[in-house]
Amino acid sequence: MIWVKRIIFALLILCGIAFVIYGAPRRDDKIPADFVVIRYWEKWTGNEGAQMQQIVDDFNRTVGREKKIFVRYMSMSNVDKKTLVAISAGVPPDIAGMWDQQVAQFAALGAIEPLDELATAHGITEQTYTPVYWNGCRYDGKLYALVSTPAAIALHYNRKVFSENAAALRAAGLDPDRPPRTLEEMDRYAEILTKRGPFGRIDRAGYLPLQSWYVPFTSYWFGQEIFDPKTQKFQLDAPQFIRAFEWIQSYSRKMGAKPIQDFISAHPQDNFDTPQNPFLTDTLIMQQQGPWQANYIDHLNPSMSRVLVPKDQEPTLPRRTDNYSWAVAPFPSAVPGLEDVSFCSFDALMIPTGTKHKNEAFEFIAYVNRQNVCEKLNMLHCKNTQLRSVSRNFIAKHPNPYIDVFQKLAASPNARGVPPVPIWPQVAKELNDAGQAVALENADPREVLTRAQARLQAEYDRFRAIDLKRREQQQQQHQLAQRK
Amino acid sequence: MTREQRRNLLKGLAFCSPWLLGFLLFTALPIALSLYYSFCDYALTAPDRAPVWVGIANYRQLWGDELFWKALGTTFRYAAMALPAGVLVSLGLALMLNANIRGQTIYRAVIFLPSLVPATAAAMLWLWMFNGRFGLFNNLLERLGVGGLNWLSTDLALPSLALMSVWGVGNTVVIYLAGLQDVPRELLEAAEIDGADRFGRLVHVTLPMLSPVIFFNLVMAIIGTFSVLTVPYIMTRGGPNNATYFYTMYGYDTAFTYLRMGYASALAWVQLLIIMALTALAFWSARKWVHYV
Repeated sequence: MIWVKRIIFALLILCGIAFVIYGAPRRDDKIPADFVVIRYWEKWTGNEGAQMQQIVDDFNRTVGREKKIFVRYMSMSNVDKKTLVAISAGVPPDIAGMWDQQVAQFAALGAIEPLDELATAHGITEQTYTPVYWNGCRYDGKLYALVSTPAAIALHYNRKVFSENAAALRAAGLDPDRPPRTLEEMDRYAEILTKRGPFGRIDRAGYLPLQSWYVPFTSYWFGQEIFDPKTQKFQLDAPQFIRAFEWIQSYSRKMGAKPIQDFISAHPQDNFDTPQNPFLTDTLIMQQQGPWQANYIDHLNPSMSRVLVPKDQEPTLPRRTDNYSWAVAPFPSAVPGLEDVSFCSFDALMIPTGTKHKNEAFEFIAYVNRQNVCEKLNMLHCKNTQLRSVSRNFIAKHPNPYIDVFQKLAASPNARGVPPVPIWPQVAKELNDAGQAVALENADPREVLTRAQARLQAEYDRFRAIDLKRREQQQQQHQLAQRK
Repeated sequence: MTREQRRNLLKGLAFCSPWLLGFLLFTALPIALSLYYSFCDYALTAPDRAPVWVGIANYRQLWGDELFWKALGTTFRYAAMALPAGVLVSLGLALMLNANIRGQTIYRAVIFLPSLVPATAAAMLWLWMFNGRFGLFNNLLERLGVGGLNWLSTDLALPSLALMSVWGVGNTVVIYLAGLQDVPRELLEAAEIDGADRFGRLVHVTLPMLSPVIFFNLVMAIIGTFSVLTVPYIMTRGGPNNATYFYTMYGYDTAFTYLRMGYASALAWVQLLIIMALTALAFWSARKWVHYV
């Protein structure tokens, strides 16, 4: 009997060992054995994920087949955190689709590969790219990423509500048939278009700075940079920066911090892709958003883009936006003469350190940056393009009828992106907190920003000191290895 | 040790080895490494980027870190609300469910059910209930002619989260119910014969006999409330204006968003020390109010 037990036990152990050895994922049988398989991790799920899959499939059918490369696309949440852990474990994906704010952070920590040589070899240069995106892909003089889809931020305004309140706007000396041209003018539009309900609540807001995703970048519309790369100093206590936050606070002074907080709580910023987006329900009349907004309007409240022809025939109409109840314009600036200011963000494709197939991975990144491919992807995602050269077809057939405004903003000399700071996630949190403190707690903008400046500068200086120490250690190790 | 005993020990270890290896590799080793990293600057990036030894710099930075104190204060305030509320509500519910009434099993199921809902789903559900404009609570208040509250505002967000934590006490109620079954009937009868009313029996018999279970739940609740993360992370992201920015959330952001593993490790070790100190305090006080038969 004891032998039976021992045999069963031995068999169980053998099964376990066999599972460990042969249980690993198998290579897809459909991929020929001599193909290099590229693992591409991307943040997009749902529609946007499926649209990127189309581009991957196109690549695998064409360039991939020709160059014996197969891209395997994996869509996931928290892609930045998962990529980081994978890099640390020494098994990174070959391509990681992250955000612009990771470029400087990951580059400074040696987590992504420089791409200058490969980009030049593929003809992707500063001359082919829109400057704001090209600069955003660089850190410390090197190129570390290329764009998958870009965006520019503009003012979206509700023409229908403007026209319904034409008399009140005219009485205040404002033109209901055009968007505001200066920040001061926009504030006046916002005041007139705001409607109060019972218990002092805001039933309709003309505009709310705190409802915007872009609070950390507000100073751009006041002509003030966040960070000076030459001096390596933050500029948060600069007079124009403080003025920007005083402007945020001015809305709480006029409308009350509590009603604003109630409004934001009822319409959370994260609900932009749901029917609760207040811009889609005529509840927020002016909003800072990117070109993707058109997609959500079409899906969630198509009556805002009412044109009496099928959607696919719409681009053939000469004045298709005439019946639209919304429109887009550059977000007005606070400084006279400072025009076409925009914050330009982008989704970035990077090659993590330690990948075995850098050249093959870049083939795909370069493919995504071909004009026809990037225009296809950006039309699917409803975004502008990162390239200087734009086809007529892209403008004419884009699902967003105002795409030319976004193209113009991205190409403007006043377009700005995420500053090249490795500690940007901390900076963004600190500035969002500062925005909430001045708007909700009536904190003094100067005091809040001076404290933020001191904290962030100290943190950045600490980061640089450690980085220097690490480089010295690596150099010593390198010299030691050479001597041996 | 005889040969037989040695063989049995080896067999025992072999059967334990999956758990033992798992514990050593995935729990003990990371804990030990995190202690080392707490004295380093470590970004968890490329494998060739070794941690840089910085001594006690991380702990010194904690001392002057405004956000550290704010997150710690928020966590303590939350614990001050959620801990007593959780203990009292779960105990009260358990006492009610222990009564011999009609439909007892249905009530028990209804109270236990919320603890089966995943934290993410529960957070989304409560987010809607708390919504200032379309939420259930404000809808009811407005029907009564009272202006709705902003449940997730700077002032109310923390109490609202504590209120929500009470919703998921089903597990604790079950433990109390099991404890209540063990209260000796003869003691209750003796107290009744001695003239003790319901309240007297509760205070002088049931609660003392239940005190080891209360103590167990209290210790678990201390650990739970001081490591709360998922629900506030989904519902408020720490806002507004850091009103719900909990200690664990700060640790998570520091590690995985700011990529400062060394500093995050220091935060985690301080958190462990705080939880250990509070647990030790609970054990010390237990000598006075916990009665083991």
